[in-house]
Amino acid sequence: MRVWEFCRRNLKETYRDPLALGFLLAFPLLFMLLFGAIFSGDTTPNYPIGVIDKDGTPVSQAFLDEALAEVPVLEVTTYENDASAMEDLKLGNISAYIVVPRGFSEQISRSWQDEEANIILEITYDESDFMATEQIISTINAVTRSFAHIEVPITINANPIHIETEITYIDFIAPGIIIFGLLILIPTSARIIVHDKEKGFLSRLLTTPLRPVEFISGYSLCLVVIAIAQIIIFILVGWLLGMDIVGSIGLTFLIFLLTALCSIGIGMVVAALSKTENQAEPLCWIFAMPLAILSGCWFSLEMLPSYLSNIAYAFPYAHAIDASRAVITRGVGMEAVSNDVIFLAGWTLIIFAIGVILFRRSMRS
Amino acid sequence: MKDDLAIETFSLTKIFSGLVAVDGIELSIKRGELFALLGPNGAGKTTTINMLCCLLKPTDGTATIMGYDINQRPFKVKEIIGISPQETIISEHLNCRENLALIGRIHGIKAREQKVRSQQLLETMGLADRAKDQVRKFSGGMKRRLNIMMALIHNPQILFLDEPTLGLDPQARRAIWEYIIRLKGEKTILLTTHYMDEADFLADRIGIMNEGKIVALGTSTELKISILEKHTMVIYAWNLTQKVINEMQGRYEEVEVIDGTMMISDKQIDFREIVDRLHSSGAIVRSAYIQEPTLEDVFLRVTGKELRE
Repeated sequence: MRVWEFCRRNLKETYRDPLALGFLLAFPLLFMLLFGAIFSGDTTPNYPIGVIDKDGTPVSQAFLDEALAEVPVLEVTTYENDASAMEDLKLGNISAYIVVPRGFSEQISRSWQDEEANIILEITYDESDFMATEQIISTINAVTRSFAHIEVPITINANPIHIETEITYIDFIAPGIIIFGLLILIPTSARIIVHDKEKGFLSRLLTTPLRPVEFISGYSLCLVVIAIAQIIIFILVGWLLGMDIVGSIGLTFLIFLLTALCSIGIGMVVAALSKTENQAEPLCWIFAMPLAILSGCWFSLEMLPSYLSNIAYAFPYAHAIDASRAVITRGVGMEAVSNDVIFLAGWTLIIFAIGVILFRRSMRS
Repeated sequence: MKDDLAIETFSLTKIFSGLVAVDGIELSIKRGELFALLGPNGAGKTTTINMLCCLLKPTDGTATIMGYDINQRPFKVKEIIGISPQETIISEHLNCRENLALIGRIHGIKAREQKVRSQQLLETMGLADRAKDQVRKFSGGMKRRLNIMMALIHNPQILFLDEPTLGLDPQARRAIWEYIIRLKGEKTILLTTHYMDEADFLADRIGIMNEGKIVALGTSTELKISILEKHTMVIYAWNLTQKVINEMQGRYEEVEVIDGTMMISDKQIDFREIVDRLHSSGAIVRSAYIQEPTLEDVFLRVTGKELRE
C-alpha cells in the first residue's frame, strides 16, 4: 500500500524530529494543565450571588439549597426582597442576584414530566463586571437546565440534585479548552504539508504515480495519529484535574476526533493555498482565530447577536463544544447530539473534498 | 523509426506570466541515448525537464515519453520515469534505505526486490556503510548521490538528471560521472548542466539551450567542427629565430610567438608540414598540438555570450 508507505514516512519525519514531536505532545499537555490549574484549583473564582425566592415551594427550595448552593463557583446568599439585594449589588457585595419567580415549581414540574415548559429566572447583574457576569449566567443556565431536565432524555431518571452536584467548573470549561486545542491542529497540519511543499519533497513525489487522493490520505492518516494522541492527552489531563465524563467516553472521543478531522481538513486547504511556511502561518491564524472566537470556547455564544451566532453555527467548533459539553456534563447519549455529530461528519467530508480538489489543481501548474 | 524514440517534443512551450521560459522546442531523443541540455542558468533547462516529468503543464505544444503523451497520460509517464531534481530533495529524518524504500514502494516494487535493489545501489554508489544513518547528517556529495539513487530505485526506463553535480567538489563530481557512464546505453538519460566539461564528457548528443530555445544540436565533435573556421596549432620549440618566424608569417595567415610558444592559425593546417618546415629552418620542436575548440567557444559563437551565468 503506497498510501501507508507515505503515511509511515510522514510519521517518521514527525517523531524523529524532537522539536516537532515536543510541540505536538507537550502542547496539549501544558495547555490543558495551565487551563486546568486556572479553573480547577483552590483559587477558583467565587462569585457571590444573591437569591430571592418568590416561589417559596419545596421545588424552588431544592433548586436554591441543593442545586445552586452546590455549585462551587457560586456563593449564595438569600435575600428577602429586591431592594436589599439591589443595595448589596450596588455596594459590590454580590455580583448578581436571581429572582425565582412565582410559578417556577409548576414549570419545573412540567419540564420533569417532559411537557412544554417556560422556565424564567430573573438575573440582575453588574454590567461592568463582564467576565463574572458571563460565567455566572452560563453556570446558572447550565444548573437550571439540568435541574429542569431540559435535553436530558426521559429514559434517564436521574435525580436532579445528583446531577448538579457533579457540575464542577472544570467540567464546564474543559470541552472549550479541548476544542480550542484541537483548533490548533489547523496550523499543525498546514505546517507539516507546507514544509514538504517548500522543501520540494512534494514536487519530487508528484513525479511518482501517487494520486491526489493518496497524498491527502497519506498526510491525513499521519495527522489522525497525532490527533488521537493529543485527544488522549487532553482527556487524561482533564480527568486528572477532576473532569468527570458523565456520558459515554466513546461518544466524547468521537466528537473530538471529528473536530480534529475538521481542523486537519482546514489545515490542508490552507496548505494547498500557500507555497511557503511563511505564507501558511498567517493564513492559518486568519482561519483559526475567528473560528476560535466564534466557537464558544472563550465565552458563551448565547451572548452573540443572532447573525453572528448563525455564522458561528455554520462552522464545526460551536457544534463540537455544545455536543461535547452535553455528553461530558449532562451525560446525554448519541440521540441527543446526533445532529451535531452529523454536522461534524458532513463538514469533515466537505472540507476534505475541497482539499482534494485544491490539491489536484495545485499538482500541475 | 519513431519506435526507437524515447522522448519527443512538439513545439513544447512554457510561458510564466508573460515570460517565455521554453520557446517551442523540438527534440527527439533516442532510446538508450544520453542527451545533455547545456546552457546558462535561466535558459529553460529545468522548466523543460519539469514539463517532461508532468510537474508543469505546457502552455503550448506537448511531448511524448516512450510514446505516452505528457498531457494525456501523465500517470503512465510517471510510472516509467525517474528524476533527480536540481535541488537535493530527500526526506531528512529518514535513513538511506528508508528514502529509497519510499520511492520504490510508491512505484509498486515488492519489498524483497526493493531490498535487493537498494543494497545494489548503495554498494555501487558507495553509501552502503551509511545506509542506516539519518540523511540529514550527510555531506552534500552523499546527499547528491542519494538524490540520484532515488531516481533509479524503481529501475525507470527514462532518467532525468537535473544538474546532477551542482555545487560538488571535483572528486565527488568524478564519482557521479563514473556512475552515470555505467548507465549509458542501459537507460535513456536526459541530463541538464551548465558545466561544459560535464556535457562534453558524458553526453552522446548535446543541445545547447539559450533563452528558451535550442540554439545548437549535435555530438560534441559535430558542434565543435561546426563553428570551426580556423584551426590553431600550438608549438613549443627551441631556437625560434626571427628568420623562422618571418618564414612562417609569410606562409600562414596568423602567426604569434609568446615566450617561445608559437601559435599558427589558418583555414588549413597540416601538422606534419609545419613540423618539417620548422625543423628544416633550424628550430627544435619540443611539443606541438592542434588546439581543439571547446564547447565554451561553441556557446560563445552561437549565443554571443559567455556560458557562465
